[in-house]
Amino acid sequence: MKERIIFGYDPFVIPFTLGVIFILLYLGTGTVRILLSLKREEAINLLSSIFSVKIFKTFKDILFDVLLHIKIFKRNILLGYMHTSIAFGWFMLIFIGHIEVILYTPQRNGVIYYPVFFRYFVMETSQTLRGAFFFFLMDLFLLIVISGVALAIYKRFRSVRLGMKRTTRLKTGDKIALWSLWMIFPLRLLAESFTADISGGSFLTSTINNLLGRFAESTLYMDTIWWAYSCALALFLFALPFSRYMHIPTEILLIFLRNAGIKSTSSRDGFAESEIYSCSSCGICIDACPMSVSGNKSEYTSVYLLRKLRRRRQDSLFMAEQCLMCGKCVELCPVEIDSCRLKLLKKRENFPNKIFDYDYLGKREPVVESRANLEKKSKVLYYAGCMTHLTPQIYRSLFNIMDRAKIEYSFMDRDGSICCGRPLILSGGENAAKDLVEANSKIILSSNADILLLSCPICFKVFNENYNLKGVKVMHHSQYINLLIQEEKIKLKKGDFSVVYHDPCDLGRGSLVYTEPREVISAAAILKESSNLPNESICCGGSLASRRFTQSERDSVTLHSLEKLNVNNPQKLVTSCPLCLKSFAKLNKRETLDIAQLVENQMI
Amino acid sequence: MEGDVLIIGGGPAGMETASRISDFKRNVILVEKERELGGHILKWDRLFPDGILASDITNELKASLGNTKVILGSYLASIEKRDDYHFVAQLSSGEIIRCSSVVLATGFKLFPAQKKQEYGYGLYDRVITNEDLETRFKKSEGLGKEAPKRVGFVHCVGSRDEKICNKQCSKLCCITAVKQAIELKQLYPDAEIFCFYMDLRMYGRGYEDLYLEAQSKYGIRFIRGRVSEISQDQSGLVIVKAEDTLASRPLKITLDWVILMAGIISERENDYLTQQLSLQLGEDGFINSLDPIIKTDQTNIPGVFVTGSATGPKTLPEVLSEARSTALTVNEYLNKIKNG
Repeated sequence: MKERIIFGYDPFVIPFTLGVIFILLYLGTGTVRILLSLKREEAINLLSSIFSVKIFKTFKDILFDVLLHIKIFKRNILLGYMHTSIAFGWFMLIFIGHIEVILYTPQRNGVIYYPVFFRYFVMETSQTLRGAFFFFLMDLFLLIVISGVALAIYKRFRSVRLGMKRTTRLKTGDKIALWSLWMIFPLRLLAESFTADISGGSFLTSTINNLLGRFAESTLYMDTIWWAYSCALALFLFALPFSRYMHIPTEILLIFLRNAGIKSTSSRDGFAESEIYSCSSCGICIDACPMSVSGNKSEYTSVYLLRKLRRRRQDSLFMAEQCLMCGKCVELCPVEIDSCRLKLLKKRENFPNKIFDYDYLGKREPVVESRANLEKKSKVLYYAGCMTHLTPQIYRSLFNIMDRAKIEYSFMDRDGSICCGRPLILSGGENAAKDLVEANSKIILSSNADILLLSCPICFKVFNENYNLKGVKVMHHSQYINLLIQEEKIKLKKGDFSVVYHDPCDLGRGSLVYTEPREVISAAAILKESSNLPNESICCGGSLASRRFTQSERDSVTLHSLEKLNVNNPQKLVTSCPLCLKSFAKLNKRETLDIAQLVENQMI
Repeated sequence: MEGDVLIIGGGPAGMETASRISDFKRNVILVEKERELGGHILKWDRLFPDGILASDITNELKASLGNTKVILGSYLASIEKRDDYHFVAQLSSGEIIRCSSVVLATGFKLFPAQKKQEYGYGLYDRVITNEDLETRFKKSEGLGKEAPKRVGFVHCVGSRDEKICNKQCSKLCCITAVKQAIELKQLYPDAEIFCFYMDLRMYGRGYEDLYLEAQSKYGIRFIRGRVSEISQDQSGLVIVKAEDTLASRPLKITLDWVILMAGIISERENDYLTQQLSLQLGEDGFINSLDPIIKTDQTNIPGVFVTGSATGPKTLPEVLSEARSTALTVNEYLNKIKNG
């Protein structure tokens, strides 16, 4: 194989070359900006994660997430194939292109456009067929990419077939990038086919060349098609910064930063910027979001919020306030963007900190009603919190269970609670909540308790994450009951009725407590599964996080959640959150009860 | 059994409609699911605004039933419209009834107060409902032998409450609470009585006077603010937490008894009947009239009429007047089909 054009240049390479220079400058500037915004310790963490064994994990993540899209494969095979074929196929085309240049025209090594337009510039020196192996590979990967593009086009019309009920609405930048992306590979195929009789080709390009015959031999057509190919590439590269396809390069940076343990500290800049630009607008979060079942609320889902944040639009705050913060979109996001954290930060940045005054907390002398022997070790301090005070049946059952198990306990907030702080944190008032956290911590630490027992997952999450309670084990009552069963302090008889368990967002996805409640239920009844995996459980609609949801919208979320829960026709619904219990009990036609009630009923 | 009119529900609405239609020499069949005629007021002691005995009203209504055939302890298992002037119903006892028209006087249901768990009904012995209190009055039990020191009434339990899926106003509870508060005060003159309300809807004649009297003569205290939660202390007394929105302050008070004014909700147990007849229900579950002003007792199905609180909360005088007008409408309808 040898060069066909002496200087290795033709004017048609200009659009593509300009595009590449533009995008490299753009990406370089962006990367430097994000890196400069890192704090000192974050930068050190980043460096140490690059120069250590962690780098292998980073490379693995890049291979699995950016090129092979393993997570999307798990959702839907066709959707996964679509993403992999385009990403991995295209990568291989570029990679093999470079190998060809290095092997056959080493003097052109480093020329930006050469690997991409290699077939235009070389000719096969017949007989030898030295390039045949690579030609075959190139044709193969081109075919794979084109099959992916065909799927992508099909998906635009019938997204359901690829496992998606809804897809994202596109902006102008996205459309230009999308259309040029669709054009690139068919044009490449044509261009390489037109030159296949000169430069050589394989099963795809040569065949097309033969079929087109004389038509393909005309230099005029040949030049035109190579120009079109270069222009399509240029159009894509110029549209890239204004389109969702920025996720392709940004995700690599994101993986580096994330593996260095960096988290967002602002809703838009620094690490957040790399998250926002890494969103591929795939729309998986739209189907995942419980808001989508309620009228026009799907326009507030994470993908659209990230888009607003990216454009620095003010209404992103309004959208952040809509969210129920159930965390399902974060759980399912193939890029693992922590959009809930960004929403929280957005709310925090706009929180009116100055208007709140918690001076009265200091004046209060809380009385801890004690039934525990103060000298005795392993004391349990129970905190009901506001939600459990609204569902007194839950703590009644729990106290009956503890009495039966002969556990001594104190009731921290029998006569009124100081809020755990999470509702304030969820609305952005993390600083304001510090006063509440401090007041509660004082009571808990002075009680000498070993276990802080909670019934409300909302409290459970905040006591775990925002409190510093040295030496105190924070437990949810589902965990504690499970412990009592294991220690054989209580005995249950297994009922002959079937039960489905709803994972409360803050207990399941929020605190990763999945197994204990299920073990408890399995001991008390026949456990049936819902149509969702535990970590994909749907919000009950009661969430404290949203400031914008009307009651009827909440009800439609509740009904949607119930429909999924009751799919296997269980006799009862059991949950372990007072808020979920309240939301479900009023709309569920089946008996709805807390896990403590179930256990109390089945105790022997 | 055959008849001109089948009336479903033997409360005041059903009884009054039955007696007025039988005045027109029509053949009326009245079906009541309980063993006794009277409906909700059977459990009631005295009625607002003047304190007339509920049993007097029931007896009077029963006495004027005329030739009406009354079937007690049965409910409709199914009903079907065969053609324009012909309905076939089957009772739970298996009996078949053929008739030319149907009147639904199915009434309402009191909101099950245990659904509002934060108020502790069913959990705490000293939290009762308006209906429980009337039953106690009827048995002359009052609130027990020991005179209570403090009693609270909680208005709007399960009505005007979106969170529990009942948006509508139950209309009767404001004045019922005032009436019951006065009765309690008469029974226990030393007791302090509190009413926790959102706003008081004293729209009927004499209601406002009763409300003023409750304050001036009986010293009943009205606190504007919804109760957030009710708990129990060790001695069994109830602790009410609320907000006094006029004083802009949260408040907590320990009471001997709490009476929950359970609101009126639709009788969803009849949904299978309305479905079989293809009647339209409103979002609140009550049956929709053909129009809300002129054809209040007609439904979207010719020959099927509706009367009383099956179309929404109503006071007793309203129910009785409507029952009489329904009797006229049904009679007119029967004349029309007879004359073709």
